[in-house]
Amino acid sequence: MAAKIALLDPPSSASSDSDVIEPQDYSEVFIDMEEQEERSGDFYNTPASPITVPYCPRPPSTGSQKSPRARRQRTTSLNQGTTTQTKTDVMIRTPQRTIYTAGRPPWYNSEGQKVEPFVIGICGGSASGKTTVAEKIIESLGVPWVTLLSMDSFYKVLTEKQHEIAEKNEYDFDHPDAFDWELLIQTLQRLKEGRKVEVPIYNFLSHSRENRTKTMYGANVIIFEGILTFHNPKVVEMLDMKIFVDTDADVRLARRLRRDISQRGRDLEGVLKQYTSMVQPSFNHYIAPLMSHADIIVPRGGENEVAIQLIVQHVHTQLQLRGFKLREELAHAHAMNSGPRPPTVKLLPMTPQIKGLHTFIRNKDTPRDEFIFYSKRLIRLVIEYTLSLMTFNDKIVETPQGVSYSGKRMSTNNICGVSILRAGETMEQAVCDVCKDIRIGKILIQTNLQTGEPELYYLRLPKDIKDYQVILMDATVATGAAAMMAIRVLLDHDVAESNILLVSLLMAESGVRSIAYAFPKIQIVTTAIDPEINDRFYVLPGIGNFGDRYFGTEPTEE
Amino acid sequence: MGSTNMDMNCTKELEVCKEYKRLKLLPANDQIKELQTILRDKNTTRSDFKFYADRLIRLVIEESLNQLPFTECNVITPTGATYKGLKYKSGNCGVSIVRSGEAMEQGLRDCCRSIRIGKILVESDADTHEAKVVYARFPEDISRRNVLLMYPIMSTGNTVSKAINVLKEHGVKEDSIILSNLFCTPQAVQTILQSYPRMKILASEVHPVAPNHFGQKYFATTSF
Repeated sequence: MAAKIALLDPPSSASSDSDVIEPQDYSEVFIDMEEQEERSGDFYNTPASPITVPYCPRPPSTGSQKSPRARRQRTTSLNQGTTTQTKTDVMIRTPQRTIYTAGRPPWYNSEGQKVEPFVIGICGGSASGKTTVAEKIIESLGVPWVTLLSMDSFYKVLTEKQHEIAEKNEYDFDHPDAFDWELLIQTLQRLKEGRKVEVPIYNFLSHSRENRTKTMYGANVIIFEGILTFHNPKVVEMLDMKIFVDTDADVRLARRLRRDISQRGRDLEGVLKQYTSMVQPSFNHYIAPLMSHADIIVPRGGENEVAIQLIVQHVHTQLQLRGFKLREELAHAHAMNSGPRPPTVKLLPMTPQIKGLHTFIRNKDTPRDEFIFYSKRLIRLVIEYTLSLMTFNDKIVETPQGVSYSGKRMSTNNICGVSILRAGETMEQAVCDVCKDIRIGKILIQTNLQTGEPELYYLRLPKDIKDYQVILMDATVATGAAAMMAIRVLLDHDVAESNILLVSLLMAESGVRSIAYAFPKIQIVTTAIDPEINDRFYVLPGIGNFGDRYFGTEPTEE
Repeated sequence: MGSTNMDMNCTKELEVCKEYKRLKLLPANDQIKELQTILRDKNTTRSDFKFYADRLIRLVIEESLNQLPFTECNVITPTGATYKGLKYKSGNCGVSIVRSGEAMEQGLRDCCRSIRIGKILVESDADTHEAKVVYARFPEDISRRNVLLMYPIMSTGNTVSKAINVLKEHGVKEDSIILSNLFCTPQAVQTILQSYPRMKILASEVHPVAPNHFGQKYFATTSF
């Protein structure tokens, strides 16, 4: 089961662990980028996959650990771009471009405010089929972005003494004290707030946390599963739906026996001893009583189709109530809106020269080299203008002429650029040309052709981005959906709203207003604001598809 | 503070300069002030100096181009809509005054890829300190063109006067000349605009003290 689903996974969430079931057929694009990022500690590395699961092998509860194969892999990453996707559907290839249908769709509403994710808790004894239930729910839900968090990530780091006990297979991994509840609650809380979390990767050989962590995000739906999910009242409070998987003890024992003996090469005696001395008592003491917290009890686990369909129906209703349809709403939200623009919108003075540049790049007959050339000039101007919006302090300097000169100095050195791929990338050069040694982050957002919604695919930001003034770049802003997603990403990385400057060459009136109203502290800089958006979300009169024209990937006519 | 006194004395002169409509300044903002501060700071390293000088030059050039004549025109955008734009008239050229004016050539090239650039070399006589033109080379039809005359630092205006005279000798009309300049003194502005009542000056700052170390620091050579 796990293996089948992992095939759909872009490698990011599987990370580079050697023993993870590696997906075979994912995008070539992701590989290179990810390989590098895993090594560099300087940048946030964010999974591009819609469903993130930390790499976290199961503890063998007790029992010998002779071979690394004895570990059960719980390293699934499920893609649910569309419900019945097969691995080949992860990519759509058109003659012009390759599209990955596994991005992260909006996790906020048209006001840019976060919609609280729906959190499902799944509890049940060891080998009761919690994972199967979780996977079946994800499969039937058809919700594009699901985060699956496992309690296994939160095992405590063992002391040396405890480590020795574990070596003798006498450490009780089924006891509540084995978990780091504080970290668990904190992580789940942040996920529920839609923020970025670093989920520890627990190594069951050394019983410590690895230096690396797995980056996860809150999603439309968060599934939290584990043997003691309902043990802590604070956790229970955060769950919107509580499911208990109730599988008969003999079935669970049978599964354990089969798994441990045939897959892990352990002997019958050992498995039975471990089961009776720890697993079974723990179930009776701690896990079974938790059933009273559950909203739904699923007998027989994953094979119980009726129960799963009921659950899925309920979640669907809940999600619809919370509302996730974005782009169309944005296009219409402020279309009728007139009156003065919010003061945070900074339009470059429309001088003849800027108008002249616009004339070149808007003309459909402008050849590419001229298009690039004049775009670059315009970009340079908008970036210079953007820098003038920073805060400056007075400064007096000595001159070679022997007199002092009272001038200005920018109050911060911490500026970084973040470009929204692909069109935003065209503005990176200009930022580098005006700010020495500036750091550049990247966000890839693509429009899902089926839903018309933006989806987040790839993200790389400087690690301490919250301390920076961020120049967020996109060449054109129509509905503002992509820009809004990028802003949301920055906010989720704890960048202060007032530290963000959104810079673009051309914006549509409604897009400007949507963003300015949603994020009143963000400064928006552009060289022109066009009045309309057409039904394909292009700005009118506009500039066409800026990225296509700049990079020469526009579809041939006829 | 020496500078405070200096500023006080020259306030009047600066006021006078502001009344000239043919003197255009870059729109003042803190960021341009920062560039000027860095260029004037004697502790600025050479690599920083060149970097920030190039940025300021680019802005001055862009703004100079903004002064050139244009006509209205309509274009069709890829979405099929019409955009009311404008088009610059052709027939412009640049002329740099050697040596420091050449620092601005790249900035002009970055904005107009194939623009023709002429050169004038003006040197001061070692004894009389009088400026004289040693060398001048222009596009053949310069008399029909608009000329961007590039010279970053102007303290007395003598060199620029000589250069303008040469241009006029070649048939360039006074109102076709725009001087692109980074720093100039009020005195120089007055000298030039009074002697040539139809030409324009575009500068980033008018200040009684000109940063005369510009050429030397930009090219990192000593002048003779």
